[in-house]
Amino acid sequence: MPANPVPESEPPRGGASPVPPVPAVLTGLALLLGLQLAGTVLVDLTGLPVPGAVVGLVVLLVLGVRWRGVVARVEPAGAPLLKHLQLLFVPPGVGALTQVSTLVQNAGPLALAVVGSFAAGLVVAGTVLQAALRRRAPA
Amino acid sequence: MNALVHAPGFGLFLTLAAYLGASELHRRLGRPALLAPVLVAMVLVALALELLGIGYEEYLASVSVLTLLLGPATVALALPLLRSGRALLADRGAVLLTLLVTGTVSVAVTVAALEVSGAPDALVLTTLPRSVTTPVALTLGETIGAATTLAVVLTLVSGVLGATVGPWLLDRVRVVDPRARGFAIGMVSHGIGTSRALAESDTAGGWSSAAMVLNALAMTVALPVVARAFS
Repeated sequence: MPANPVPESEPPRGGASPVPPVPAVLTGLALLLGLQLAGTVLVDLTGLPVPGAVVGLVVLLVLGVRWRGVVARVEPAGAPLLKHLQLLFVPPGVGALTQVSTLVQNAGPLALAVVGSFAAGLVVAGTVLQAALRRRAPA
Repeated sequence: MNALVHAPGFGLFLTLAAYLGASELHRRLGRPALLAPVLVAMVLVALALELLGIGYEEYLASVSVLTLLLGPATVALALPLLRSGRALLADRGAVLLTLLVTGTVSVAVTVAALEVSGAPDALVLTTLPRSVTTPVALTLGETIGAATTLAVVLTLVSGVLGATVGPWLLDRVRVVDPRARGFAIGMVSHGIGTSRALAESDTAGGWSSAAMVLNALAMTVALPVVARAFS
């Protein structure tokens, strides 16, 4: 009668340490920064009137469509950054509060422009897209 | 006290503490859009700087790491677009049409409102990026010569408007399709509106973040051209 000396599962391959040598969030951040800098170089070379980070966004878009692995690498840094994007707006916001005088001086025209284009944009976008989607696939 | 207040890390600590406190308050009050953590934190930090006698330049130097992160955060905006890519491609005609028409109307209304009330050209430049998500609005504002700090406030105002009265206004004009509702909110109210659209449904949220990114890309291309007329 053979006893059962074989363990029920094999020990994990590659030693006892499942912790990756570099935290995933650092890899993600390095990739995002690298894409931004690549964008900056491209802008510098082509003279496009576009921020380098936006070019980096487009590059990530193109890479992400081809290779899902890139997305998985970027996600650990990208997801928390996007979730707390608002934190990054606090410093410029504080600066704006020091410019309150410009804001108050032109409060009327500014309110008209911002509220007007907000309302017009929202209504136009909603109705146009709804109508266009309906034409493609009637409910 | 002076040593503490003028320590290099003080501004960053202040900002993080204000943001965390404001977020907790926001959560406990049931997430009212008017008390968005970013607005509360902004006011708290500005008050603290005033009271403690810290100059804005010194504060900016302390929070430079946050400013630095705006770049990678902008690049990361590709992620929500990749997530909803398939649905968008299937309806690309409708999406492009909406993007084009809304962008034109939005810019036209902004320029017309300011021109009619006789505002200076510099103000027009500052108001133009307002529907664009803030990290892009910031860099874009620099490119076209806007007063970036003011541009940020106008951007935040658009976001809060979208989160508060946006759904109500869409009800009034009978936009019921969650895709159209989300897209409309994302186009005019970027990230702050997107978090509100996410509360309506996942579909609305996905289309909203996609609209935010597509609008940012479209405006990045279009605004420098429009801005040339005012500089």
